[in-house]
Amino acid sequence: MIQNYLILSVILFCIGILGVVSRRNVLIVFMSIELMLNAANLAFIAFSRFHESMDGHVLALMVMAVAAAEAALALAVVILLHKHKGKLDTDVFSLLKG
Amino acid sequence: MEHTVSYLGLIPLFPLLGALILGVMHISTCTGKPFSEKLYGVLGCIGPVISFIYALIVYFQLKGMPADSRFLIHDAFTWFSVGDLHITMGFLADPLSSLMLVFVTFIGSLIHIYSVGYMSGDENFGKFFSYMNLFLGSMLILVLGSGPVVMFVGWEGVGLCSYLLISFYCKDTDNVLAGNKAFIVNRIGDLGFVLGMAFLFWAIGASGFDYLSLRENSHLLTPGIGLVVCLLLFVGACGKSAQIPLYVWLPDAMAGPTPVSALIHAATMVTAGVYMVARFSFIYAHVPVAGAVVAWIGILTALLAAIFGMFQHDIKKILAYSTVSQLGYMFAGVGVAAYSAGIFHVFTHAFFKALLFLGAGSVIYALHHQQNIWKMGGLKEKMPKTYWSMLIGALALAGFPPFSGFFSKDEILFSALASGHTGIWFIGVAVAGITAYYTFRLIFVVFHGQPRDKKAFDHAEDAPAVMTIPLMVLAFGALCAGFLNLPGIFGGNLNVSHWLAPSLVEHHPHTSLTVELLAMALTIAIIVTGIVIAYKKFASGAEEPEYTGFAKFAYNKFYVDELYNTVFVQPYKAIGSVIWKSLEPNVTDIHVKVSSWLYRKAGTGFKIFQVGYVRVYAVYMVIGLSIISLLLSQSLN
Amino acid sequence: MFQYVLSVMIFMPLLAGLFVLAAPISKGIARLAGFIVTGIILLLGIELFLGFSGSAGMEYVESRVWIESLGVNYSLGVDGISLLVLFTCALLFPLIFVVFSTRTKGFYANLLICQGAMIGAICATDLVLFYIFWEIMLLPIFFMIGLYGGPGRLAATLKITLYTIAGSLLMLAALVYVGVAYHTQFGEWSFNIVQLAKLNLSGGYAVLAFVMFMLAFAIKIPLFPFHTWLPDAYTEAPTSTTFVLSAIMAKIGVYAVIRFVIPVFEIEFARFAILLSLAGVVGMMYCGLAAIAQKDIKRMLAFSSASHMGVIALGVFCMNVQALTGSLFQIVAHATSTGVLFLFVGLMEEKMQTRNITDLGGIAYRAPIFATFFAIAMLASVGLPGTSGFIGEFLIILGAVKFNAFIGILSGTTLIIGVCYMLWMFQRVFFEKPKELTEKFTDLNMTEVLTFLPVILLIIFMGIFPQPFLKKIEPAAQKHIAEFSTVAPTVIVDTTVPSEGLNHQKN
Repeated sequence: MIQNYLILSVILFCIGILGVVSRRNVLIVFMSIELMLNAANLAFIAFSRFHESMDGHVLALMVMAVAAAEAALALAVVILLHKHKGKLDTDVFSLLKG
Repeated sequence: MEHTVSYLGLIPLFPLLGALILGVMHISTCTGKPFSEKLYGVLGCIGPVISFIYALIVYFQLKGMPADSRFLIHDAFTWFSVGDLHITMGFLADPLSSLMLVFVTFIGSLIHIYSVGYMSGDENFGKFFSYMNLFLGSMLILVLGSGPVVMFVGWEGVGLCSYLLISFYCKDTDNVLAGNKAFIVNRIGDLGFVLGMAFLFWAIGASGFDYLSLRENSHLLTPGIGLVVCLLLFVGACGKSAQIPLYVWLPDAMAGPTPVSALIHAATMVTAGVYMVARFSFIYAHVPVAGAVVAWIGILTALLAAIFGMFQHDIKKILAYSTVSQLGYMFAGVGVAAYSAGIFHVFTHAFFKALLFLGAGSVIYALHHQQNIWKMGGLKEKMPKTYWSMLIGALALAGFPPFSGFFSKDEILFSALASGHTGIWFIGVAVAGITAYYTFRLIFVVFHGQPRDKKAFDHAEDAPAVMTIPLMVLAFGALCAGFLNLPGIFGGNLNVSHWLAPSLVEHHPHTSLTVELLAMALTIAIIVTGIVIAYKKFASGAEEPEYTGFAKFAYNKFYVDELYNTVFVQPYKAIGSVIWKSLEPNVTDIHVKVSSWLYRKAGTGFKIFQVGYVRVYAVYMVIGLSIISLLLSQSLN
Repeated sequence: MFQYVLSVMIFMPLLAGLFVLAAPISKGIARLAGFIVTGIILLLGIELFLGFSGSAGMEYVESRVWIESLGVNYSLGVDGISLLVLFTCALLFPLIFVVFSTRTKGFYANLLICQGAMIGAICATDLVLFYIFWEIMLLPIFFMIGLYGGPGRLAATLKITLYTIAGSLLMLAALVYVGVAYHTQFGEWSFNIVQLAKLNLSGGYAVLAFVMFMLAFAIKIPLFPFHTWLPDAYTEAPTSTTFVLSAIMAKIGVYAVIRFVIPVFEIEFARFAILLSLAGVVGMMYCGLAAIAQKDIKRMLAFSSASHMGVIALGVFCMNVQALTGSLFQIVAHATSTGVLFLFVGLMEEKMQTRNITDLGGIAYRAPIFATFFAIAMLASVGLPGTSGFIGEFLIILGAVKFNAFIGILSGTTLIIGVCYMLWMFQRVFFEKPKELTEKFTDLNMTEVLTFLPVILLIIFMGIFPQPFLKKIEPAAQKHIAEFSTVAPTVIVDTTVPSEGLNHQKN
């Protein structure tokens, strides 16, 4: 039973990774990251249920809190990026090219 | 202890104090109004004179002691002491050093007095006397030092003063260069001295590193080490006493004021090397090979310098080469283990050479710093006092009997012959002839014949009394000093040699009276021939000859200076530039260069991964994470 | 109270430096504060020097447990080996505050921090504590060169910092190795130098650790061929920093070799002694020759300093009591003579805005006092008897001859090499005809005369009466050599020539 939950979690996580790697729109990248976080949350809850321990819940709640904080910051960054270049394309921001 | 006296250390202290006081006075008034010359003169002369009086006291006190234990010591304080090495700032007066002491202070005082006249009007009058006092103090430390290290203090001190006084007129680059040359060449010698001391110390110095202890332990010295020590010390002597190959600095040293040439570069400092070899006679006497090296170097230097002296035109250069040549004689003397003869020649030479230099100084002074003998002539009438005293000096230098030089030089030549060094004796006799020739060439050209420079001639006159009186005193010395050591065949009994005997390790060889007389006659004949040739060529006014062939070669001193310049000086500078311009940045710094190059290359290498797109970095993360997960799962199973 | 004198001497300048850095005060007050603090340190240093009994062991010992689990202690002490280095460090700092006025507040703060760290490094008897001070010492140097140096300061400061840090990090690794080795052999942790000296190290790792330690110190000394940071750093640094670098920091490198390397790595040290002493001699000759090609008088002095450091290091590597004592003495002698020469060059630069030898000339006429002082310091630097330089050089050469006749003879050439470039420089700067720039050169004023006179007198005093100094350092040197010889008696190289005479004497 737990396998099903975990497989779902892995699928969600992989969709997240694919989104981060292949999409160039900052907002979509951001949403993909949220997807990955929630994939992890799903795994936590599943394990928590499986082991009949509340630790997983605690961690899941913790991740949600972090995700919320991150979302606040990230959206601010996104707005600034948009102000700066007028676009939300990640490939535009390649100043770190060696 | 009856041998301990507390005033020996004061003897060098007086001139040193004088130097300090004069130096401070000079410096503090350098930019303002200077003190009067009279004050400087009195203060400058007072130290040497007091030292001279003390020297006499020392001499008479020694004379009052039994002959086999004639020495006075004064250990002022422990200078430094590390492990087995104990160096006391001590002073030792024995017959050898007392003889040196007396004549150094005597001639030093005379030359100080002379300088009051000679240097008058010079803006650096105070500085001059400060340096001269410093020199005399150092020289007295050299003479009185109770061990080699204390002697080395004086040794380097006189070198410093020599440098300072040669470059006294320091606006002129040539003078400073001459000073540098003197200091550096002396330093090469000093290296030998220091290393000689080091070897000597490790061999026999542990139970006391002063002359008395060293002499006691000298039999412990193995011949090998003995030879090394002797030769190294002789390198030091070569530097200070201007012997082959380190003689080149002395002729250049004539750039200094003439009293300096007289005091430092003729009478006292340059004989320090001879004194040192005599001081270490207890080592040299055991190593005949080293003695032979010393004697041969000495006599060859005598020959070489005499040849150079024949063709010079600068009055001081002629005298300088004659000094080098006479120093060669002295080394020949101490080399054949006739230490007392060598020291006696030091003694007489100090008188007549100081006399000649001061006389030359008077001439130069009268002719307003003209030093070329071919611009002089006929000065006999104008400067009779100078002429007569210089003539005495010349006769003494030429070794004409009964002047002082005759006795001392003959003693050396005879010792060489008697100890079986026939070659040295033969060259020595020949050099005596050459010496007579070039000395009288100088006298005849300068004082006889017609004046060659009318204008200068008209203004020439004898110097003031403050300068001529020292001349006369020295002339008296040059005339009579020889009688102090009258050999047996003239009814004397070698007083000076006997006086020196306790300080030295020597044995007097004996030959038949006939040989001695024949050799002496031959020498005198050669000397007279030399004088006669000079008279024929120069007495009635010769003009400066055009030198060609060998004469030109000798006039240019065999191009030895140029040779040294190309072989040592220029390569030295070139090596410096090569190190700085090529070696340092390209070779020595290579490890730094290589590491920074590696960093840079590595940076460029890794640059291709830095594409700048966020998604590519995300891919890297995914790959890294995958690898780590894979490894983790592997290790968990 | 005097029992904590070392802590006071370390932390007073450190804290004063931090205070000056942070407090809103003018640079004049900063200078005054610096002068007062260093002046107090000087007084404490003199008092400490006079109070030092001259025993072979540690005095003024302080010890507190610091990191108990690792056996690291805050332990300080002074013995004959560190005494003169400490004395030099206390003696020379006040000069900087008197002589140089055109510096900012931050510069003075850095100087103070530097002094504190240096005294810490000199007094620490715990290897970890030493390492910490050793690293702190570099920071102010980095800022002083990087912020206040000449036109090429950035490259110079990066080079010296990276170079020395590279060495220090190697030392850190070796330090850990030594600590672990001690733990393995004795079952407890300790970094105290007395404890570490009991270590019995051998094998490849010991050699590696020895090399790492030596490398750190060789860079600092600097020993040929690791001296290449020196000409740039000494030239680009502000003169007072050059003074600190050459007079004190280089000496701490030598001191550290004696203090930390020799007791711990006796066998390795004895094995490499010939190689190291060759490095010293070759460095002496190499830098001395390079000095003659310099047009910048400061760079010339930099090379001269490196050349003399080669001789000082050689004295340490010879491992006999004369050479070691000579080195320790020469540390002060060289610091005073060369240090003062650097300060003089700084003065000349302030007055004439040039250090180029060819632009100068005839200063002796314009400034006789200055010329005299300069000449005395120069003569001390070339080792003229009667000045402090002679005693040290003579002892080192004497010891070197015993150690190895060939190296002894080579080391003697320092007498000649030094004189060549110094005299030539002196000729062109002080003699000859005055030039345009030197015409307006003014002599030392009263304050400057009074500042330099004590140092000049000290140079002469130490040449004539070296015994008060030698007496205090010799027992410690004796002990050091004795401990060394008991552990490594077989490997000490002796020349055949002098020992022939020695054996003869014993019979």
